[in-house]
Amino acid sequence: MSDEFIVEPDVNFIKEVSKLGGQDVKKCFQCATCSVACPISPETKPFPRKEMLATSWGLKDRLIGNGDIWLCHNCGDCTSRCPRGAKPGDVLAAVRTYTIGEYAVPKALGKAVNNPAKLPFLLAIPAALFIVIGFIIDLVFGVNWLNFSPSGEELWQADYFNNLLVDIIMVPTFFAAIGVFVLGLKRFIGDMHANAVLEGKTAKEKIDPAGFVQALVKIVPTILKHQRFSECGENRERATSHMMVLFGFIGLFIVTGCFFTAEWVFHIEGPYNQINPIKWLGNAGGIALIIGAFLMIAQRRGKKDQISSYKDWTLLGLVLMLGVTGMLTEMLRLGHLYGLSAFIYYLHLIFVWALFAYTPFSKLAHFVYRTVAMAYQEYSGRK
Amino acid sequence: MTNDNTAPASGSIMVVGGGISGLTTALEAAEVGYEVYLVEKNPYLGGRVAQLNQYFPKLCPPTCGLEINFRRIKDNPRIKVFTQAEIEKVDGNTGNYKVAVKINPRYVNENCTCCGDCAQACGIELNDEFNFGMSAKKGASLPFEMAFPSRFVLSSQIIGTEDAQKAKTACKYDAIDLDMQPKTLDLSVGSIVWATGWEPYDASKIDNLGFGQYDNVVTNMMIERMAAPNGPTKGKIERPSDSKALESIAFVQCAGSRDENHLPYCSYICCMASLKQATYVRERYPDAKIYIFYIDLRAPGQRYEKFYKNIKADENVFFIKGKVAEVSEDQATKNVTVVAENAVTGEKTSQTVDMAVLATGMQPTAANEKLPADLKYNTDGFIINDFEKGGMFAAGCANKPADVVSCNQNATGMALKAIQTLARK
Repeated sequence: MSDEFIVEPDVNFIKEVSKLGGQDVKKCFQCATCSVACPISPETKPFPRKEMLATSWGLKDRLIGNGDIWLCHNCGDCTSRCPRGAKPGDVLAAVRTYTIGEYAVPKALGKAVNNPAKLPFLLAIPAALFIVIGFIIDLVFGVNWLNFSPSGEELWQADYFNNLLVDIIMVPTFFAAIGVFVLGLKRFIGDMHANAVLEGKTAKEKIDPAGFVQALVKIVPTILKHQRFSECGENRERATSHMMVLFGFIGLFIVTGCFFTAEWVFHIEGPYNQINPIKWLGNAGGIALIIGAFLMIAQRRGKKDQISSYKDWTLLGLVLMLGVTGMLTEMLRLGHLYGLSAFIYYLHLIFVWALFAYTPFSKLAHFVYRTVAMAYQEYSGRK
Repeated sequence: MTNDNTAPASGSIMVVGGGISGLTTALEAAEVGYEVYLVEKNPYLGGRVAQLNQYFPKLCPPTCGLEINFRRIKDNPRIKVFTQAEIEKVDGNTGNYKVAVKINPRYVNENCTCCGDCAQACGIELNDEFNFGMSAKKGASLPFEMAFPSRFVLSSQIIGTEDAQKAKTACKYDAIDLDMQPKTLDLSVGSIVWATGWEPYDASKIDNLGFGQYDNVVTNMMIERMAAPNGPTKGKIERPSDSKALESIAFVQCAGSRDENHLPYCSYICCMASLKQATYVRERYPDAKIYIFYIDLRAPGQRYEKFYKNIKADENVFFIKGKVAEVSEDQATKNVTVVAENAVTGEKTSQTVDMAVLATGMQPTAANEKLPADLKYNTDGFIINDFEKGGMFAAGCANKPADVVSCNQNATGMALKAIQTLARK
């Protein structure tokens, strides 16, 4: 800190962050109320005051590799105490979104995910993908994986969109997303450590992988229990809705894994019986997503001093639509409205694909970056 | 001085508020020959300045400056002073106002010699607002030693009680008149200067700084009274909880100022006030540690800058750049811990001290209660001067937060503005 250095502001960075919801950053006058108001900020080198300065000066390099921006849970305690209305919570949220775009390749896709004008295009990709690939397979191999008018008494969505068609598209997408995350994390962890060393936040010189994994295991219960969330004053109720969505996703991920195994390993065909416990878990997960998303939308709409931008609404919209289309598909099938059920299922496929493909580029990537940053905090021994 | 001057224009000037700004405007106008009504709501003149221990940066007692002003008023037949008086209504327009002034009863007439027998006779103890509740006063009291007018006052709270009768009986000079009634005067004036001053911002509204929750968190005006020889502790600065001598003290700057949630503006004087109060502490405790937490220290001008530099040279005065955002109390020791992020080192600092002083800012009196006249205010309640329209002007802290020097300069200017209104009539 004491060394002189020439500030090289990245003006474009300031503009981008402003667009992403950090437009009030310039109001900050560095009083440091936020760092004290924050219930989860560490004692040494607390955030977000220094991040506010770095953002308004356009010191991009001090932010994108800064683990502290991820320790923030955007509870809003700093924003409500801020004497200037600079909204540190929202600025950090905007910086995080920018950071996600920095680590996810290709960057152009990250830009598109945060651009409202590109939304129809992004949704058109999966919409076209299922139909086009279905047709191509039909044309080339003569296999009918796409059937618009299947016959039979009892039908389900797989009679319209064969599970093979779905899985040959979804599985590679899923692993591609993991690939993007792996590439991003590799750089992120290195940058985060370099930043911590530079700012004197850690005494560790190198990252020891075993120790890091141990730290990761240690913080998982903290995340699942939403302990950090619960320390917040201003936005405490959000912990419940966030928990519903998180557990909804975890449940549905387990369900998808089970049914994937049932189908391709044990060759048990769906649809599965409603008394199947896995099915219960699926239904509970879907309902949790819908209720959680509704609550979060209501909370965001109710909070006038918090900035809710495109990145927030698209994520909440996606969560809600995933839940709604999933549950509707099932309900319509149970109500024997097979055609309509299949159409809703098609929408559901679009959203699921969007979830897989765009997660590394969207706000949802926070679940990876925040987890890693919290693990690093634990590892680095910061209090 | 220039009492035999004759004014080039006719008409009177009303000055509302008898603090340092109002006194200045009234005197400057009267001494060039104008008739002035000086209306003050308290039973004494001097306003906030009368409550101070010392002025910055010269560290001289304000009583000195006030005394000169009081003498000028006494010598000037053109100034008519009304204390315990409030403006009820202002009618008319530029150059021609009708003002209704309500005068509340003092219950003490000009026979009073300030012997104090009436106070001796009273039993009931009342909260002494002059000392911000740090002391009690009797139902009959002299506002402070050199109060002007130099006359006791009976609190309306004891009227109708036994105390009032006791006070009347005790008075050897027939100075107490319990039958005094409020009266309203209708005065015609050509221009009005509003020098309605300021109130210390209510520190209990700043809920994270602990005022009103912890005994040893006080405000800057409270420590000013403590330091004053005529204050509740007779000039001793000690902790309210146990009167312990101070080993350490923290000053919390911008307590409610420069804060959208409270007063969005800089109150201008609090930095200098805290620096000045640091000298009070140092004078009484040569080794006490003094911690000053600030966002930016504002010591404008060469003289104030020099004052700041002198204090900075004291190796037991510590300046920490970081606003205090959390205050807690140790229940056993009653020590206070203030928490801030030191923005220079980037570390969170918790400092435990014997006492913390909140440098609360000034809120214009008109912010809490609008004046009964056609005036324009900004969103914070400061009166905006409309020089084009003329007729009515705000002087001193009714117009903007300012120190005494600036208030006096501004008040002198407003005296001229008031005179110009009369001359143009």
